This record gives sequence, structure tokens and C-alpha cells, in this order.
Amino acid sequence: MTGLLLAAVLAGELDAAGVHRAVEARRGRPVLLSFWATWCEPCLEEFPVLVELARQHPEWSLLSVSIDDAEGRAAVESFVTKQRPPFPVFLKRPGADEAFIDGVDRDWSGVVPALIAFDRAGRRLALLAGEHTRGEIESALSRADP
Amino acid sequence: MRVPITALAALALTSAAAAAPIRVGDTLTPFTLKDASGKQVSLASIKASGGVVLIFMATRCPVSNAYNQRMAALTQDYAGKGVTVIGINSNRQEDAAEIVQHAKEHGLSFPILKDTGNVEADAFGAQVTPEAFVFDPSWKLRYHGRIDDNQRGDNIHSQDLRAAIDAVLAGQAVPVPETKAFGCTIKRVAP
Repeated sequence: MTGLLLAAVLAGELDAAGVHRAVEARRGRPVLLSFWATWCEPCLEEFPVLVELARQHPEWSLLSVSIDDAEGRAAVESFVTKQRPPFPVFLKRPGADEAFIDGVDRDWSGVVPALIAFDRAGRRLALLAGEHTRGEIESALSRADP
Repeated sequence: MRVPITALAALALTSAAAAAPIRVGDTLTPFTLKDASGKQVSLASIKASGGVVLIFMATRCPVSNAYNQRMAALTQDYAGKGVTVIGINSNRQEDAAEIVQHAKEHGLSFPILKDTGNVEADAFGAQVTPEAFVFDPSWKLRYHGRIDDNQRGDNIHSQDLRAAIDAVLAGQAVPVPETKAFGCTIKRVAP
């Protein structure tokens, strides 16, 4: 049952290399990569903002990765089901947190929420670590899609 | 404004250095903050022959709360070795009364300082809770990072903070002086 739910609600699990492959697969469009967790209050506040932005800007490709561990999977599924994001939501593949953080981006401290914006060529333009306003997020993506 | 001594030296060369957070190897100028009960606590007055552990922590962060028991145990385990543990709460929405109540409920006997306006969080470059800094008795920063490698505490492979403290006590180099971990963002005041 859990497997069926996972297949229906979440896009799968990613390690750091998988995150980079997912970004690479979206080359040609500006990409916003989001990291969050259900235990992170600012993340839960930010997620609906990302859902709105994705609906308003279909030219942007959003990609979301929950860093919840295996015990948090049900909470992720429940939250995502309610939010109905128009973008894929992945789970971090079980494994060492530090290797994942550094594998994704050495400049990332591990704080969530965290957003990384890439331009159409796949170049990282911005790392927004911690709480950010909708305006700051839009500004980062606007730079990726001038 | 308080900055690390090494940053002060750099200030003579460039004003940009003033904003640089403390780094492993820097020496801290001990500061004074009020604890959650309103009492002024001066780090300079602490006689910690084994060093000082500062931990940025929170009352509402599930990750920080998962470490409550481990922080309490750490304090007890190292008190007899001259190591002082001090908590710092920089979250804008967690006031002194909440910190006192939280400490009482979770058996946290070490002092917890209230960092109003996240001045110290900025000076330390602290981003998440929990996030630990280990200073030797001469206030040189010897370790910065996670407490251990498992939030839930049931599958710990690396006791990074304890290893750092043990190294300082033994007069040895800290095996891994910087680590990263997921944690709740420190809720800062608007810039």
C-alpha cells in the first residue's frame, strides 16, 4: 500500500548524483531546485508559494526534494497530496546527510528550506538558504530567465 | 560589535572582513549575553579548564529537540572534566520565558543564553539548530558542526562533537574539525 502511495504521490528517491541528473535533464529551461522537510516550519510556509509560482510561470521547471528520513515518508505524502504541486517531489535517498549536502552543493550548509536556481544552460545562479520572501525567489528565477 | 580576534586583525586590511563569521582556528573574544532568566553571563568569567561547547539550539525545532537528551547527557558526562556546555537561542519567535519552560521540561541544566537580534548567530555564522562550536581553554575554535550523524539517535556512526571535545581534552588535533548536518533554520530578525 505504501509503495502504491509513493508511486502515486512522489516521484521517487534521489541521491546527490540523482539530483544533478534531474537538473541536467531539464536543461533548456530555468530550473528551481527546492529542498525541504515536513519538520521545517518555514519550509511548509514556502511550499505553497512555490506551487503558486510554478502555476504562474510554466516556463520554469521546479523540482522538489524532501530530506525527511524514512520515518517521515508518510508525512511527506500527506502534505504533498494536499498541496497538489504541478512539479515532481522526490525524497532524499536514505544515506549520510553530509555526503548528500556536499554532493548537491558544497556551499550549502544543510539549512532548509534551501533553493538553488539554475539558468537554461544548467549553470547555478543562486543558492537561497533559509527563509526567503516570494519576491526574493522570483528575483532569483528572473535572473535565470531574463 | 564583537568579532574574532583574527578578524580584527584582518579589519586593518579590509573592511569586508568585519562581516566574516568565526572560523575554525580563530580565537573568540568572549562576549556577554543574558541567560533565559535574565542574568548576565560573561563567557570571560567561565573557568572551563577543558574548554567550552556552545550549541545553537531551539525550543520548537524537532531536530534540536531530538537532541535534548543527548545535550543533557553531554553536559553531565563532561562536567567533571572541566568542559562547560552553553546553549544559545537566536530564534526571534522563542522568548526567554519559553526557553526557561522548555529547559525545565527537558531537563536541560546548562545555561541557555538569549541572543536577541541574532547578533551572535551572525558572528558565528550559525545557520541551523542544533549547531555546535567547541572552544579550547584559550577560546580558539576547534570544532564547528553537528552533534552526531543521526538525528533520531538510534543509528549513530559518528560522535563528532564528543570526538572533538575528547581531542581538545587530550591536547590533540580534532579529527574532523568541520561537519554539516540538516537542521532547522535559525529564525533571524529582518535585516
